[in-house]
Amino acid sequence: MSEWVKVADMKELARRRKKVVNVDGEDVVLFAAGEKVYALRDTCIHEQRSLAKGTLFNGRVICPGHQWQFDLASGWEETQERCQPTYEVKVEGDEVHLNTQQRVLAEND
Amino acid sequence: MSNTIVTIGAGQTAAVAARTLRRRKHDGPIILIGDEKYSPYQRPPLSKEFLAGEQEEADTYVLDKGWCADHQVELRLGTRATRIDAADGYVELEDGSRVAGDKFLVATGSRARRIPGLEGERVIYLRGLDDATRLRNTLRPGARVIAVGGGFIGSEVASVARAAGADVVTLEALDTPLERVLGASMGQVCARIQRDNGVDLRTGEAVESVTETEGGVRVRTQRGTVVDGDVVVVGVGTVPNTEVAEASGIAVDNGVLVDEYCRTNVPDVFAAGDITNHWHPLFERRLRVEHFDNATKQAMAAAKNILGRATVFDDPHWFWSDQFGLNLQHAGHAEAWDDIVVRGSVDDLDFIAFYLDQGVVRAAFSVERGGDMFMAKELIAAQTTPDPASLVDEDVELAELMAS
Repeated sequence: MSEWVKVADMKELARRRKKVVNVDGEDVVLFAAGEKVYALRDTCIHEQRSLAKGTLFNGRVICPGHQWQFDLASGWEETQERCQPTYEVKVEGDEVHLNTQQRVLAEND
Repeated sequence: MSNTIVTIGAGQTAAVAARTLRRRKHDGPIILIGDEKYSPYQRPPLSKEFLAGEQEEADTYVLDKGWCADHQVELRLGTRATRIDAADGYVELEDGSRVAGDKFLVATGSRARRIPGLEGERVIYLRGLDDATRLRNTLRPGARVIAVGGGFIGSEVASVARAAGADVVTLEALDTPLERVLGASMGQVCARIQRDNGVDLRTGEAVESVTETEGGVRVRTQRGTVVDGDVVVVGVGTVPNTEVAEASGIAVDNGVLVDEYCRTNVPDVFAAGDITNHWHPLFERRLRVEHFDNATKQAMAAAKNILGRATVFDDPHWFWSDQFGLNLQHAGHAEAWDDIVVRGSVDDLDFIAFYLDQGVVRAAFSVERGGDMFMAKELIAAQTTPDPASLVDEDVELAELMAS
């Protein structure tokens, strides 16, 4: 079921630019990059590593487990042609809101 | 004009090339010719998840049949090619028939290096799905596994075997496992990881012979050590499958020679993956690399070059190993170095080591530090010369050293 919930305040993302929140029992990692906030399922689709322990670079998060590089907005991994599940995010004032409906974009188009 | 692209080989390299060709809007036929009976599959799980029984055959597949049908990618499996005639536009098969094509990708990969005399019912050279299935069926509590070779394959097999309750004796010919790749100090770290997990690792032990015993197998080393076991698994490197290239007039020297555009010496014939001895612009030498990530990335570059989009392949090379609950990673290439500097703690098995040659970062090896490996690859690719004191200082972000 899709609904919008407040998951964080912007100031929580200020220093480390990332934060893990739990949505319906699933860990979701928020990343602040540029002016935007992105949300991906924290557990990597590959080998269950935590993306929150990864590196942010050029609009991607690089998983520490096996260096898969996920596009922050779409979750797309170019060399694997697979998608990490993502969530829609809205920033309202100081509040980060997330649509609880997980989505998989661009899988095997 | 037809524009059929034929790959010789149907493993990871061929599969990724096919996917890339379709993604890049190649609209002609794509045909993958593979001598194995299986759909293209990934080999890394064969010494890890598949061997442990956590994955099955289908989990290792790279291309599913539906995708191939939808994208008109034809798999000719269980089919051995013998020769490419690029000038006349065909691949000749073992039965003498021909598959017409306009451009060709040699992706024949490599096979396990065999030790003369080390053969038998209970000897497994781990390379394909059938080998992994055979080995998997022997792993049970109390089983006696003899691993020949203490490198990444040997240690991954040992890890799975130990987890299954088997006893493992590993015979490594070098004094330190992985010494050529990692150097003695980091090789010792890998040895320690194995020993701490109950592997009886014996170094300086080159295998001389194997004999069948009643219900088992006996291995003797050149030093005279005798080890009895139930199964012998050998992981001592690979040799490139050069037969098709050699029969086709393609230049071969420890693999198929290609330039940084994945081109062979024969027009319209490209090569990628384990089979290539490729010119590497970053390391300014030829390299033959037997790793999954190279197969993937070189295949992507080759596909783009086949389509006429000039793409230099200069990835710094990267591989990983999962063993004993630890994640090991390596990037770059160094045969000689002046210094190895460590960020993190070797004792705690939480570190990344940088290999410096005349101040230039040439390679990196990490244990449970994959989070630093991405920037390490960037530092290697940019041939940076960071201050070693900064490299080891955890208060300095590696990204800050890119300008050095």
